[in-house]
This record gives sequence, C-alpha cells and structure tokens, in this order.
Amino acid sequence: MVLEVIKLSVFYDGAQVLREVSFFLGGGVVAVVGPNGSGKTTLLKAVSGLVSYEGSVKILNKELSVLSADERAKLVTYVPPLVDVMPDMSVGDLILSDPLTDKRLLEKYVDLFELSSLLKRRLSRVSSGELSRALLVKGLSRNPRVLALDEPLSHIDMRFQLILLKLLRVLSGEGKVIIVASNQLNPLLSYVDEVIALKKGEVIFAGNVADFLKLSTPEKIYGVKFEILLKDKYVDLIPKELS
Amino acid sequence: MCGVESFIFWRKKRFLTALVTSASLLVLTFLTHLGLGYKVISPLDVLISGTTQLVSGNLSVEGYRLLRALTAVAVGAILAFSGYLMQLSTKNPLADPYILGVSSGALFTVSLTLSLAGYVAHPLVLGVRTLTAFLGGFTAYLITLFIASRAGMTPTSLVLAGVAVGTFFYSASLLPQYFISRDIHKLIAWSMGSFVSPSTDILILMVSALSLSTAFVFFLRHSLNNLQVSDDFVRQLGRDPVSLRRCSTLVASLITSLTVAWFGVIGFVGLAAPHISRRVLRSSDITYVLPMSLILGSLLTTASDLISKVLIAGIEIPVNVVASMIGAPVLALAILELRKHGS
Repeated sequence: MVLEVIKLSVFYDGAQVLREVSFFLGGGVVAVVGPNGSGKTTLLKAVSGLVSYEGSVKILNKELSVLSADERAKLVTYVPPLVDVMPDMSVGDLILSDPLTDKRLLEKYVDLFELSSLLKRRLSRVSSGELSRALLVKGLSRNPRVLALDEPLSHIDMRFQLILLKLLRVLSGEGKVIIVASNQLNPLLSYVDEVIALKKGEVIFAGNVADFLKLSTPEKIYGVKFEILLKDKYVDLIPKELS
Repeated sequence: MCGVESFIFWRKKRFLTALVTSASLLVLTFLTHLGLGYKVISPLDVLISGTTQLVSGNLSVEGYRLLRALTAVAVGAILAFSGYLMQLSTKNPLADPYILGVSSGALFTVSLTLSLAGYVAHPLVLGVRTLTAFLGGFTAYLITLFIASRAGMTPTSLVLAGVAVGTFFYSASLLPQYFISRDIHKLIAWSMGSFVSPSTDILILMVSALSLSTAFVFFLRHSLNNLQVSDDFVRQLGRDPVSLRRCSTLVASLITSLTVAWFGVIGFVGLAAPHISRRVLRSSDITYVLPMSLILGSLLTTASDLISKVLIAGIEIPVNVVASMIGAPVLALAILELRKHGS
C-alpha cells in the first residue's frame, strides 16, 4: 500500500474540520470532491504533512508525522491553488525556487505546459491560468511518490486540463498516487480511478466512479440534480436543477 | 539549448553585467567621495594615507574621509539588506525600514536617551544606545505589523500602518529635543541622517552584523525564495513560515536600529535598492537580488552623502534629505505599478 490514512482528524482553532477519515490507496488517480468548506484542502494538506493531525497517515509504511522534512519531501508534494506571489518574481524564478526539483523533469514539464516563452515574464503580467501551470510544473518536477493537487483544473483552459489529466494517468501507471481535489467533475471523473466524497469533514463515499454515480452521490453532496451521460470510459454530468 | 537552461544562462549573464556595472559605479562614487570635501585631495592619497591612519588609530583628514566613506557604504548596504528582508517576509515590494516606522521608533528611543543622559559620550549612554534603538525600532515594527494584519495585510494597509506608526514616533522624538536644549544642534543633525561623526568601532560592529545577517539569509535562501510564493512551499522545505517571518523581523529591526542609533534616519534606501535590483535583474531570486541590492544601497547612500557634503560649500545638508529625493520617486513608481496590477 502506498498511502494509508487511518482515523485522520484535523482541528483548526478547536473546530473539527476532518472527522476520522480513513482510506487506503495502492496507486492511481483519486478525485477528492465535496462542496466548499467540506475539508478537501485540509485532507490534502494533512496527507502532505503540512497540518498537525490526529490519527495516522502512512506513506510506504512510514508515519508522516515522525519523518524529517527531507524524507517527507521525497514522498509527497502538495501543490496549492492560486497564490498571491511577489509581483516582481518571474515565471522562471518560480519554477526554479525549489532545491528538490528534478532538472530533467523540469525541462520536460516546461515544454509540456508550454511555459518556455513565459520564463522571463513577471508573475504580475501572467494570467491566472499561466500562474497555475507554473505552480503545477514546480510541484510535478519534485517527482514524489504521492502528489496532492489542490484545485488544479480551476484556472487552466481545456487544452491544459487534458494535458494534465493525461499526464496524471501516465504517472499513476508508474506507481504514483495522485490525489486531485476539485469540483470540476467534468472532465475529472473521466480520468480518475477512484472518488472520495467529503461533506462537513466526513467521508460519505469512497469507491470507483461507476458506484459514485450509481449511488447518486453527486446529488447528495452538492444538492443538485444531474443528468449523467456515459460514453465509453467518459462521463459527463449536466447540472439540471437544485434538489 | 533548452528553455530552462537558456533562461538560467540569461539570468546569470544579466546578473553579472548588472553587478559589474553597479560595482564600478560604486567604486567611482567612493573615490569621488574620498577626493571631495573642504579641499580636493587625490583619492589615491586618501586611500593610502587613510588606511595607515585607520590602522594606527590616529585619524587626520585622510583617515576621517576614508572612515566616513566606508561608513556610508556599510550603512547603505545595511539599509538595503533590511528593506529587502522586510519585503521578502511581508511579500510586499513597498516595505522599507523608514516607511514601516522602524527608523522612527529607533529615533524616538535614542532621542529620549540622549536627551536625558546627554549627547556627549558617557560610557553607559554609549553602551545602551544600540540596544535602546533596537527596542524602539522593534516595538514600532511590531505595532505596524499588528495594525496591518488587522487590516488584511495588503500592501496598502501595511504602508498606511507604517506611516501612522512612523509619524507617531517621529513626532514623539521631537518632544525631548524641544524640551532639552543641551546639544540640540547635534541631536537634530543626527536625527536627519549624518555621517559627520564616524567611528571605527561602530563600522566594525556594522560590518560584523551585516556579515552575520547576510549569512543567515544565504543559509535560508531556498525557504525565503519560497516565502515569496506560498507558505505551503516553505513548510514542504521543512521550515515554519511563521518562525521565518519572526526571525526576519527581528534581524531587520536589529540592523536597521544599529544604523539609526549612530547615523540617524536615512529613508527610502531600503525600498529603492531592492526595487531597482529586481527591475534591472528581472528576477526576484535572492541569490541575485541580495548582492545587487547591497551594492545599490551602498551606492545610493554614498552618492547621497557625497551630494550632501559638496552641494553647498561649507554646509552639510542632511543625508536623509538627499536620499529621500532619490528614494521617494521610486516609492511613487512602485505604488503606481501595484495599482496597475490591482494589488
């Protein structure tokens, strides 16, 4: 098992934001879905060792909370959603700011996400999608065993969504665990192996995409009735009305 | 050549070109500073005789000129370092020890001490002067950060909080000067920035403090680079961003206060030097911006002191007046740029 999460709870200022979450992942791409404030980001940060938690998070059988930062960095990387950065920083500065970057992968991902022509550009002059691509390249180039991507699809256009999702499929084939927190069920659900649905800090569903749809989980978590279109392995959810 | 490799090469080449140019300008300004004064002396003579005098401890004109010029270089580098560290830790390109009230806080406590204990060297006064400045500067900075954090910690709220705190402490520093007439002229000249009373001991103290602080920043450069992006990236490098900010705050206040204690307030150097460095280098990487900022800070302060002593024959204009005339337009440009980008 690559990632084992057992009875994971997280508290912020005394309030419990994650309640005894448990799951086990051996590999593949996993979607973490749920309404705003359901605990998606907290779950990703907890499995990346960035917030203190109760319970257990193990990667390759090593408890995260007792590992040194260097050991942890080789195992897991968290990529945040859009952030406020120093305006004078360039795209090149951003992607080169990590000492743990694998330079070979960095070159590869810069080409893949078409950032070569933007490297000298200041971040105050790039779009949110371009900044988001730069953050993804920075995180992916660390080459960890577990990748936690927070809202990676929100700002990038369809072309780069597809490039990212296809890349995640390739990486999962190499034995990595990739956790993607997002509410963009289209196109995410077409490219993931499993889904974890959160509501008010609790897991209300964990399983494959077919069961996720069969049990009307999207309606339960979002309070919206969907029409579900299935073609081959692709899924399309059309929101119809509030339930 | 691949995209990233070509970018790294371009960044290094730009850095080396800018560094050599600015260092040459600094050497030129430094030599001019040595040569000009009440009478014109060959800079080389000042350099040779001055060094001998500094080593022997018996200062005459050459030794004094060399010491004053070296002091201006060190103070400029410290102010640039301090401003840059404040900008990194607050992720705000408008941060500067003068704008954020640190200099005025230090000015107030030192004014108070000097007014009560006398300007002229009493061993106790000399001993506590730096510490007193630090207490004032650090307290002022904490108050600024507290007010700004309550107001959302935006670039504008931080600057406004700094202006409020700085104005309060600057006004408060005038009160002891108003009531106590002893050494009033010296006190006023010092408070407006002046290098007319340099000291070898203080120069050694400043260079040591700057060397230690630079080593601190260089050791933490990866974390500080990531502090400009996201706290989450800093945590992933094994550092606590909150502690990093606290340490940076402490170091920036400490070394700024050291310069204010002995040479008064010199504003905007801490803002202008890193800002111009980032602009020229088109980078915010500490490895490149820090050395460039130190050189530009030294250049700005040395040039300001040179202008202050030669602009009007026989009269020393306060260094802060000259430095502000250079630095204030840079602040205005920085504000306009932030506004343009909706920050």
